[in-house]
Amino acid sequence: MTLEFAIPDPAEWMVASAEAIALVVIVAGLLQIVFYFVLLLYAGAALGTRPPVPRSATLWRRYSDQAPAISVLAPAFNEELTIVESTRSLLALQYPDFEVIVINDGSKDGTLARLVSEFGLEQVDRFVDRSVEHAPIRGFYASPRLPRLLVVDKENGGKADALNAGINCSRTALFCAIDADSILESDALLRVVRPFIDEPDLTIAAGGTIRIANGCKVDSGRISDIKLPRNFLALVQIVEYLRAFLMARVGLGKMQALTVISGAFGLFRRRQVVEVGGYSHGTVGEDMELVLKLHRLMREAKQDYRIDFIAEPVCWTECPDTLSVLGRQRARWQRGALECFVKHKDMLFNPRYGRIGIVGFGHILLVDVLGPLLEVLGYILVPLLWALGPLALPWLLAFLAVTFMFGVSLSIATLVLEEIQLRRFPKVRELAVLAVIAVLENFGYRQLSNLWRLQGWWQFIRKQQSWGTMTRKGFATN
Amino acid sequence: MTTLRALWEVSLALCLLAMLALLLLLLARVLSARLFDRTSAARQRLLPLLLDGDPTELEPLRKGEIQAAADLTVEIAEMTRGSEREALLARATALGVTDLLIARLRSRKAQSRLDAVEALSLFEGSHDYVIGALDDRNPDVRLGAALALAQHANAPAPIDIVNKLNVGAEENSLLLVSLMVDLAETNSEAVAGLLFEQDLSHRVKVAAMDALSQRGGEYAPLLAYMARDSGNEPELQPRIFRALGRTGHPAGADAIMEGMASDNWTVRAAAAEAVGKTRLVAAADRLSTLLNDPHYWVRYRASEALLRIGTRGVSVLREASRSEDPVVRSAALKMLAEGRA
Repeated sequence: MTLEFAIPDPAEWMVASAEAIALVVIVAGLLQIVFYFVLLLYAGAALGTRPPVPRSATLWRRYSDQAPAISVLAPAFNEELTIVESTRSLLALQYPDFEVIVINDGSKDGTLARLVSEFGLEQVDRFVDRSVEHAPIRGFYASPRLPRLLVVDKENGGKADALNAGINCSRTALFCAIDADSILESDALLRVVRPFIDEPDLTIAAGGTIRIANGCKVDSGRISDIKLPRNFLALVQIVEYLRAFLMARVGLGKMQALTVISGAFGLFRRRQVVEVGGYSHGTVGEDMELVLKLHRLMREAKQDYRIDFIAEPVCWTECPDTLSVLGRQRARWQRGALECFVKHKDMLFNPRYGRIGIVGFGHILLVDVLGPLLEVLGYILVPLLWALGPLALPWLLAFLAVTFMFGVSLSIATLVLEEIQLRRFPKVRELAVLAVIAVLENFGYRQLSNLWRLQGWWQFIRKQQSWGTMTRKGFATN
Repeated sequence: MTTLRALWEVSLALCLLAMLALLLLLLARVLSARLFDRTSAARQRLLPLLLDGDPTELEPLRKGEIQAAADLTVEIAEMTRGSEREALLARATALGVTDLLIARLRSRKAQSRLDAVEALSLFEGSHDYVIGALDDRNPDVRLGAALALAQHANAPAPIDIVNKLNVGAEENSLLLVSLMVDLAETNSEAVAGLLFEQDLSHRVKVAAMDALSQRGGEYAPLLAYMARDSGNEPELQPRIFRALGRTGHPAGADAIMEGMASDNWTVRAAAAEAVGKTRLVAAADRLSTLLNDPHYWVRYRASEALLRIGTRGVSVLREASRSEDPVVRSAALKMLAEGRA
């Protein structure tokens, strides 16, 4: 009896291995693309069938009597240059019943002093809740002339910690978490509160659109002239934000599988947020984690609920326009998504969590966890293997299709959706510029972005916790 | 291999298709910019016609201009009142604006139908068309029509309106309260009658209670009865106590005292809030026992109510500020400090 082993031909083995690698990369990319197109369809359906939007003039008349009171929570850290203008802009919001709680998170500059002197505040006492954890509060500041404003001075603990202090100090059923250096459109609260008015027993959270203010003119804390920035990175981020908010969030909201409401602008029902312990410490993805905790709470309690996304209310923010700052931000976002995924991994494909386990977590797995790893692997190996011979040309073309061509068509399709449904860009030229950017971003920027996300992966593995610094230049003012 | 090639070709086709669509939209934008210029010119020409002159001397406008006239009419009507508005609407009718709005009620877009209903409700002679919109297929248009009708004395009966809205199944909006408030202005008895309709959704009844509470003490005994009767509905009861508090009437005192002893903290908090609003001095001692409630909201509402009810409440707070229980002491001290601020 003789034993015969079939020794594979090394050339065949190399071809098979190369094709297997390419297949994994292409299938993963294709799954992402299919998912994005499904989201685009859902976003189109959501925008096409959204409830009629009252004109700004009727918005107040219709909603002001029933609009629930809102506490606007604005955490501030070392923002002495902008805090007064930001607070004035918040106090001027059009909403019938709201309070603005500015939380000075242990700033080392003159943030608190500027607030106290500019608004004539005095130290007061306040009976506050202690339901969620945060660093100790050092004092409260208010003025009888401005009954809507409360400044909370606390020891430094980070944004999540500051928001938790704000939640404890708020006395309304709803709170709106924002970044102190962002600009809310004056009717943004009236618009974002709509799900809480339409479905008061079901809605526990709602998010609004974030738009990039770079290039726009700001006057007295309001956007007075919408313009595109000249900086390429800022332009690319406008297209990215359009995709993220108009396609992904509107689509996921329609599916009721939204996994994140931006920390820059979200409205929450206080009671459920307190039940989940408020914002989590020790993560850089605290906004995403809060939404996941809310889903978990409601699913485990088997209660009907809604977490919605409304495209109309707008919050303007300044985006990074240098590679170093943008890279740090993207690495941090990646790290935040991975932290949330690992913390709640038991929800992945778990039927107990319904569509949030299947669709929401499937999306995180595909886009945030596997996406950058496989795409970078593809960028390195597929062209190399094609150049060396083991891969035939069709494999390379298929890889280019999933990484470049479908990406371009998705970005353009998002612009088409924007133009049909919202028309937020006043000039034709601006839309044309964005169309060019939607093509260009796929060649160079997209690859760089994936490298930053790999950096985030690396930081996550090393359990690096720092936020890094976001250098803001301040809005251009008239 | 053919699949891989097909993938490439499909991606190219999709890319071209998306670009073509955007190009068409860009062209459409250029054309609409020209149209906008023409509309702006028409608005400038129409403004004096709408603001001044004898309506009988006006003739219906051409199709291109009438749209601008309709939009302009609604914008100006929202800024005017009384005889000035009536004269504006008479001129708009003479120009043919109502005919256009009636035609818009048949639009495929819910947004257009809603705008048309809201605009038509301003015109006296269009009542039947607005009533017809209560049968619209879109719930937001139906609610818009109901809200518009409720502001007129000749609105349909509340029960007919809520049946059209299909409350509970399709309509859950808080705007039902606004609707009930407006309906109660002209027919509060009919709104109160909704509370006794057996098959009606609890949302309608709660909205009716909220509306009736805004009419002062007239319906306080009825609300007090409802508050006691809703003990097995923990989601509903706090809202009834808040409504009872809004009446500011002492008729609900017994019900409120019972509410403060509820096992449900949301009911205790709402009842304590109602004490403050009705200034029930007799409840001061009961409130003081709530100062060490395990729930912040109950402690807060109780201490706030003590501050609101005046001298007796403040003396209870002062006494509590010397309590050995740190929870009670803290609640009392902080609220006294807030009262001084």
